[in-house]
Amino acid sequence: MSGRTHPARRPGPLARILRIGAPDLRRFLLGTALGTAAALCTVGLLACSGALIDKAALRPPLYTLTLLMAAVQLLALGRGPLRYAERLVSHDAALGALGRVRLWLYDQVAPRSPAGIAGWRNGDLLARATADVDLLQDVYLRGVAPLVTALVTSVLTVGAVALLLPTGGLVLGACLVVGTGAASGLAWVRRRRLGTGEGALRGALAADVVELLAAAPDLVAMGRDEEYLERVLATDAALERRARRRSWSDGAVAAAVVAATGAAVIGTLVAATAAIAAHQLPASMVAVLPLVALGTFEVVLPAADAVSRLADHTEAAERLLSVAELDVPVVDPVDPAPLPDGIGIGTEDAVLRYRADGPRALDGLDLEVVPGRRVAVVGPSGAGKSSIVNVLLRFWELESGRARLGGTALDRLRQDDVRSRIGWVGQEAHLFPTTISGNIAVARPGASADDIAAAARGAQLGPWIDSLPLGLDTPVGERGAQLSGGQRQRVALARALLAGAPVLVLDEPTSGLDRPTARRLIHDVLAATEGGTLVLITHRDEDLPTLDEVVVVDDGRVVDRYVPGDGDGVPSAVGRRDARAAR
Amino acid sequence: MGTAALVAQAVLLGAVVQEVLIGHADVARTMPLLIGLAAAFAVRGLCAWAGEVAAHRTSSRVTSTLRRQLLARAVELGPAWLAGERTGELATSATQGIDALDAYFARYLPTAVLAALTPFVLLAWIVAEDWFSAVILVVTAAVIPLFMILLGLEATRSASLQWERLSGLAATFYDLLQGLPTLRAFGRADDGRATLERANGELRDETMSTLKVAFLSSLALETLASVGTALVALFLGLRLLHGSMEIGTALAVLVLAPEVYLPLRRAGAEFHSSAEGRAAAGRILDVLDDADTAAGAGGDDVRSVRPLPDPATHPIRLQEVTVRYPGRTVPVLDEVELVLEPGAHVAVVGESGSGKSTLLTVLLGFVTPDRGEVCIGDEPLADCLLREWRARVAWVPQRPTLVRGTLEDNLRLGNPGATGAELTRAVECSGLDGLVARLADGLATPVGEGGLTLSAGERQRIALGRAVLRDVPVVLLDEPTAHLDAGREDSLRELLTPWLEGRTVVMAAHRGGLVGRVDRTFTLVAGRLVDTGAPGPERAGVMAGPSGAGPEAAR
Repeated sequence: MSGRTHPARRPGPLARILRIGAPDLRRFLLGTALGTAAALCTVGLLACSGALIDKAALRPPLYTLTLLMAAVQLLALGRGPLRYAERLVSHDAALGALGRVRLWLYDQVAPRSPAGIAGWRNGDLLARATADVDLLQDVYLRGVAPLVTALVTSVLTVGAVALLLPTGGLVLGACLVVGTGAASGLAWVRRRRLGTGEGALRGALAADVVELLAAAPDLVAMGRDEEYLERVLATDAALERRARRRSWSDGAVAAAVVAATGAAVIGTLVAATAAIAAHQLPASMVAVLPLVALGTFEVVLPAADAVSRLADHTEAAERLLSVAELDVPVVDPVDPAPLPDGIGIGTEDAVLRYRADGPRALDGLDLEVVPGRRVAVVGPSGAGKSSIVNVLLRFWELESGRARLGGTALDRLRQDDVRSRIGWVGQEAHLFPTTISGNIAVARPGASADDIAAAARGAQLGPWIDSLPLGLDTPVGERGAQLSGGQRQRVALARALLAGAPVLVLDEPTSGLDRPTARRLIHDVLAATEGGTLVLITHRDEDLPTLDEVVVVDDGRVVDRYVPGDGDGVPSAVGRRDARAAR
Repeated sequence: MGTAALVAQAVLLGAVVQEVLIGHADVARTMPLLIGLAAAFAVRGLCAWAGEVAAHRTSSRVTSTLRRQLLARAVELGPAWLAGERTGELATSATQGIDALDAYFARYLPTAVLAALTPFVLLAWIVAEDWFSAVILVVTAAVIPLFMILLGLEATRSASLQWERLSGLAATFYDLLQGLPTLRAFGRADDGRATLERANGELRDETMSTLKVAFLSSLALETLASVGTALVALFLGLRLLHGSMEIGTALAVLVLAPEVYLPLRRAGAEFHSSAEGRAAAGRILDVLDDADTAAGAGGDDVRSVRPLPDPATHPIRLQEVTVRYPGRTVPVLDEVELVLEPGAHVAVVGESGSGKSTLLTVLLGFVTPDRGEVCIGDEPLADCLLREWRARVAWVPQRPTLVRGTLEDNLRLGNPGATGAELTRAVECSGLDGLVARLADGLATPVGEGGLTLSAGERQRIALGRAVLRDVPVVLLDEPTAHLDAGREDSLRELLTPWLEGRTVVMAAHRGGLVGRVDRTFTLVAGRLVDTGAPGPERAGVMAGPSGAGPEAAR
């Protein structure tokens, strides 16, 4: 009933979220049926009790009351278990639906990461996955089933009352409509006055908190932590002001429901009194009608509450759905080409921008790495070295130009196919909060312990792991916080080695390493990937001599390429480049 | 007052019914009673309104205070403590967890107070009118608190498990957000999904077992209430039949009977629905009470604080500093001795993982040594205000964090009061001028979360720029050139050398660094700091000539 009194202004978001959660229909119906039965018990219990007393007051023979007495006991005992069953069934269904909404959110975020969500704050996305999804629990629990329950119970009781006394039914029905109408009207006024945006504020608060915690070392060291804490609390204060203002309307809704209940009780009482005086109703029914009114409102209350929070739920749903509306920056082709056998990679006139209004990270890059060749990419920081990786791994889409694997354009291949051929170590590799071994095994779940240990040795982790009491089972902490920078890089390298892909793209694998270790690492990597294609991004000249070719990148373009050792007397590729730039 | 209105409402309803049933009254005769009834409802409505507003007011004040305390404490406990925590989990405690406490303060506490008062007021009236019904009510209602205690214990236990699962799920999701590129690179995005699905399933199971207890408790309460009410109704009916009772009284008692149980039932229900908040509060209080690792920002300690000697004129000394990490057999730093004279430039070298970064965090006061101490002049750092000490130190970390804001905002973190000229100089000294020139909006370009994607080297140079802006006597550099090419390193060294002159510099490095003049080099081997004297070229290339001949020549 409340569903009808409140016109579905924006049916879209909630309906779509309901469909995404796809609660089991049978459970949902079962829950609704149980809930309705329990609600009818509540109303029936009050009605029968009232009738019992009314009748008894007229002192009929005892046997005329036994039926009512039995009914009172039955309804009293039946209501509890019915409610218990209903709540278990509906909560279980709702929690399952919330889980599905969360997975759906992950499915939306995953194909968009990293390029498609670069403009978003992780804390805000986190708030969507937790606070907003939890808020939607109400949509599943109190959004539909209680409305149905309230509707069925209201119709049945109003009908039953109307059969006894038409005016009574009319009064009760009117009070129910006005009461829930007032509750949703107040909620509507609140939305007008406060606007939506509470969810957005909560998201901002979460993002601020995450930022404060993530940046704490820098902030504390610079003595700016208190200022950033105040910034978080300013968002908190804005939320508090909202909460205070909305508590007024929450209170008004509560008062409106009490008022409507009072009107219904008094109204039915008056109607019954008048009818009894006119001999249209047996006097024994006088208490039944107001008690039924009390009971009905008790059942309708949760539905009115749900309706009054419709705006919050809609906003939460919209916040979740907005993730799905982001562009997917890199999509698989409709008709993908088969994965070529060739393991040469390259780009032609590649142009890349991270933001439409940003500078060109790649500006007409032509890079050709023939199969089996080991190429170093060097150049000043910010020259676009890492951008090459982002393009080859299909993390970002080119603005123009092409990238190729084995002679086939990358955008004609499935992303997973491309990535299955390319092993990768990022510049600041992400480690998951599990063990060293778990982090290496990301590349190939189910890899044997020997394979993992071999990969770790290949990445020069052997002596260090041997020194740990737990060895490969040592936890690394969040983002690998328990490890040093060089150790993190090497765990990521072990991961790439374990993947065993024929093309390896390494972004500064030796940063954070002392020179002897770095030299051994390059040596081992070259040995382990014999015959494979290697792109090694580095800023360390000492990494270069054992490679086949050095490509110098600056301003998003290839500015020089040479065979190391061939540069007779020019020790530093970058130095040479700088000398040229200085002219 | 709401309770009084409730009693009035019941009595008046009973009176009206009695008038009609026994007195054969018509509407006009019951009018005064009806008006009274309407007034009772009106008072109840207003009470509900005022109650709602008051409860929220108290609660939002409490939750805001708690949020401030939790975050302040988390920051105060410091980076070393935070490194052992999961950001997503802590953030969820500070946001959703504290919001959930609203249910406790705004709902449970008021209903608990009502539950303690209302039944007695109602019973007092019922005893006066009909002691027999009162006895039934007292006997049945007395069982309720017993139930609540038994189930409450169980509920609290499972609720804290549930909160653990929920915040664990948040931590997992947050970590997946950051790790997605890695997962996708290895074609393992589905593994992330499976991890999330597992966390979902665990949360669902734990939530259901919490709810089962909560529902069982309300089933018990509801059944007791129903049976009690039904018993009251039955005996009322029998006595009415017998003629020993008035219908008005009977009806009033009948209407009030469920109201005796209602506050108890509601308190029970709110107790369970505030379980999440209470569980989160448990977690929050743990953080607030966590004194073990209080190696934090210090600052507001009451203990006697010694004035900090000026590090520009007093040496910094590490005396027998020993630091152990849990789960590691060997100490990271083992009785490290080091004296830093004002203006000295010291390089610390050693293999990756040898404790170079730890040494710098000890100097920053992020990590309190398990043994030994850091002294400035003759004052132990532990007795000084860390905030004051850090105001004299600049630190360039290995993985600097950018905050949301413009490039300029991020540089100014180092020194908000810096002039435009100082800012320009910092941009030049840190080699950021090229980047700034390439950006259409220059220093006004948004960076950090949601901003422009910067390379690791660029982020590190922003940290360097922050340090330059600070203009402080002590500079700690943690592998400042990890992402710089040799050419860039040379030009930066030339730019920085004049700035570093006269400052005390500690640089953790494994290769040629930014520091033009290195007075001494120390090598960390198995936690021991060995003085390897004046830097030799083979010493991992710490001393690379300013000419830019570079490590190649040193080999």
